[in-house]
Amino acid sequence: MTDNGSADAVEIERIIDAPLALVWQMWTDPKHFKAWYGPGGATIPVAKMDVRVGGTRLVCMEVQTPNGPMRMWFAGEYREVIENERLIYTESISDENGHVSAPSDMGMPEGHPTTTEVRVELKDIGGRTKMVMTHLGIPHDSAGAAGWAMALDKLAAYIATYSNR
Amino acid sequence: MAATIDEDRLSETFAALANSTRRAILARLAEGGATVNELAQPFEMKLPAISKHIKVLERAGLVVRGQRAQYRPCALDPAPLEEVSTWAERYRPVWEARFDRMDDYLRQLQPRRKAGKDDD
Repeated sequence: MTDNGSADAVEIERIIDAPLALVWQMWTDPKHFKAWYGPGGATIPVAKMDVRVGGTRLVCMEVQTPNGPMRMWFAGEYREVIENERLIYTESISDENGHVSAPSDMGMPEGHPTTTEVRVELKDIGGRTKMVMTHLGIPHDSAGAAGWAMALDKLAAYIATYSNR
Repeated sequence: MAATIDEDRLSETFAALANSTRRAILARLAEGGATVNELAQPFEMKLPAISKHIKVLERAGLVVRGQRAQYRPCALDPAPLEEVSTWAERYRPVWEARFDRMDDYLRQLQPRRKAGKDDD
């Protein structure tokens, strides 16, 4: 459905049984966001959100692994903020200070981005809310970049589902 | 179902990546193969400590050792990171699970809506 220049995207549409304003808060109020964002046994010990265009976000996901608790940090920036309607933010693997991990730190050659973008669109349908979420990889500059960047994204996704199995 | 994915292997892969020294070793190997001695050079670490890190990376399948006696140069093998299906396919169930939780959470927040709205 989406034409975003990247074949690798997830688009999910859901009808949420809640009013627009509350669904908006699910994404923009850390208290609410922490309650649902971590799937399965993953918890969100930290969620900092400066919800305005250019504002930053920092989310920590903690999962239990056979090797003990594992923390992953994700930093990003809000690109579009239209209250109760449209939210766009980026997401990159980072450290606890929100510094995006240099590709070399992640074992990748230099110059390879690891950023993805999350778009949320909300629409009122008679008191309930239609929510369309699109998560896409930002087009990469070089062909070889995709492999590594996406491998790490897959890994992050895997971590999130790990304790679910 | 992604039952073919070797979950233990993947957790080992992530555990291997969750260490800055090992990531630095991988970064070095991304530029080309190297011996343990060469890998140890940038670090203030004794060889056995570096060897230990390399063993972890080997177990995770991220590093393969050559057969040349003594030197046994190390090389990067990104295959463990690539054996998962596409990025989007991996992420979809993560988001679906999240939104299920959002539904549950919203039901707790709005108890009055609880009954009779199962359809879609």
